[in-house]
Amino acid sequence: MRRRQILTVAWANMKQRRLRTSLTTLGVVIGVTAVIALASLGEGFRVTVTQRMEQGFELNVLTIIPGSLFAGLSRERFNDTHVENIRNIESGVEAVTQVMQIGSVTLKSGDKEVRAFVATAVNFTEFVKVFQERFQFESVNGTPEQWINNTIVIGYKVNHPNDTETPFARSGDNINMTFQKLQFLFETRNFTVAGTLQKRGAPGLTNFDYWVFIPLDTAREIYQTNESDLIFVKVSDPDYSEQVADDIEALFPPYKISILVPITFIRQVDYILSLIQLFLTSIASISLLVAGIGIMNITTVSVMERTREIGIMKAIGAKNTTILTMFLAETALIGLLGGIIGVPTGYGLSYLLSYIVSRFTMRQQQDTVFQGPETQQSVITPIFSISWAVGALLFGVLICILFGLYPARKAAKLDPVQALRYE
Amino acid sequence: MPVILEAREVEKTYQMGKVRVSALQGITLQVEKGEFVAIFGPSGSGKSTLLHVLGGLDRPDKGSVYVDGINLSTLNEAKLAEVRLRKIGFIFQFFNLLPRLSALRNVELPLTLADFPEKESIQKATEILELVGLKDRVNHRPTELSGGEQQRVAIARALINDPKIVLADEPTGNLDTTTGWEIVRLMKRLNEEKGQTFVVVTHDQGVAETADRMIYLKDGVIQSVKKGGGGVSL
Repeated sequence: MRRRQILTVAWANMKQRRLRTSLTTLGVVIGVTAVIALASLGEGFRVTVTQRMEQGFELNVLTIIPGSLFAGLSRERFNDTHVENIRNIESGVEAVTQVMQIGSVTLKSGDKEVRAFVATAVNFTEFVKVFQERFQFESVNGTPEQWINNTIVIGYKVNHPNDTETPFARSGDNINMTFQKLQFLFETRNFTVAGTLQKRGAPGLTNFDYWVFIPLDTAREIYQTNESDLIFVKVSDPDYSEQVADDIEALFPPYKISILVPITFIRQVDYILSLIQLFLTSIASISLLVAGIGIMNITTVSVMERTREIGIMKAIGAKNTTILTMFLAETALIGLLGGIIGVPTGYGLSYLLSYIVSRFTMRQQQDTVFQGPETQQSVITPIFSISWAVGALLFGVLICILFGLYPARKAAKLDPVQALRYE
Repeated sequence: MPVILEAREVEKTYQMGKVRVSALQGITLQVEKGEFVAIFGPSGSGKSTLLHVLGGLDRPDKGSVYVDGINLSTLNEAKLAEVRLRKIGFIFQFFNLLPRLSALRNVELPLTLADFPEKESIQKATEILELVGLKDRVNHRPTELSGGEQQRVAIARALINDPKIVLADEPTGNLDTTTGWEIVRLMKRLNEEKGQTFVVVTHDQGVAETADRMIYLKDGVIQSVKKGGGGVSL
């Protein structure tokens, strides 16, 4: 039978039973709407969370810490050779910098005094290459290359304790820093403020707002050691992270170091969120199954009502497959119609839900700790994905065809003589 | 004239509840091209069953049916449907038109099933509707047509695929006498003008006597075969 004719007949039949068709289609619409709404919100949630983590984590920076969680955190320390070896890794490494930890220090300027819990010594030239984004500040001396011994860079929260308007110190000021040199032995030295960091906030591993930085050479001279406690490695592309981490691990004896690779965290989180999204969508698909059962029911009724018609068709030469196709065309059309209405409805619903959620969370937002520019948009925006839209549409049609199959087969297998006698 | 339809020792039994009913008991008959044959008998004589078996709507328990030389018992369902579609035209007592389709679409349906191009099939259906005298009723639905008109549509539908044989099951049974005779005349005219072969099942002796040959059936057995008068004024 001509395909167009089958569709025309199917459409005519559907129009004939308007109410029935509408109600059956409504079931599919609800199913597809639920699938699309949950999928797009889930996708939006996943992307939002992943993006925020990416912003917080600095995906392209690996952190090497001494020791291993499972073999005990040793006091293994790093030196210039280690840094050099890492820098010489063939591909993927863009910049390497080591950090010596000094511990907590007290800064004094006149009668003002602030405490910094994380004082570190870094090679500014290298450090700024790794943390280009975050290690930006106003300085009197210009480029980092010109920084000399006994200078200090102060993080925002250290410089503005309790978010005070007036900073503790400005660039060019001379301040005193008291630090622990040996156990029970404290020393105070005069430093020139080379720069003050702007407020960045960082939900990730390191928050420079609470840090102060002095030149590595100064620290080496104070402590009489060339060893350091941490190494940061910037990779040229986050995708190289794992490979570079492997290369770094190979440079050290087993279990002597641990490498924090942010992209693996994010991949894990992303994976878990994808699973949650899939789970939610599967639950939504149950409503499509219910719609499918509705279709099965109504098609069975329709086959009974049209038994005589089927008999006529068969008597004048319709094959079983033709009858089967005719009924399946109807259920498929219902599925298609339901999908065409359901997909936009689903997206509409997800935007509505996201709007409601955003109204609810607005007030809470204002109280969050991290107010960096990147944290402003935390509302979940539903994500339109053409593949989800097409997928849900096809899934709806498929469900309708599958559930129509049983009654349609029954229709196709009717005995023509019996069917013609049916009243 | 060549034999178009042949039944050899056809038997058919029905299970009606706990009773087995022998509807056909060894029917053998031949219909030649261009013949107008009436199968005549009281109700329950097995006429309709015979017609169904002859038309490939039902399968005999024993014996075989040949349509245009094809042994129907060797065919699967799909092939049998193909034979019904291309070689046989059916006319029923209750017209059996599809209520949602216009007269034209009803007539065109077999061509649609045969994947005939739409334009040509519409033209052909229009011509045949004109032939059966329904030129002005082309776009009417069955409910908008009288019984006689509906049966004409059914006749047109039976003819559209140029079948080798048209099988009519009590074609006048649901019509008043006058209209019934009009239908008989139409079939006779098609038989005489176009050489269309007809097998008409009827319980009306008057109708049966217009045929070239009258086969009298009772209790599933052919009781007699008479030459009909062919006497119907056209």
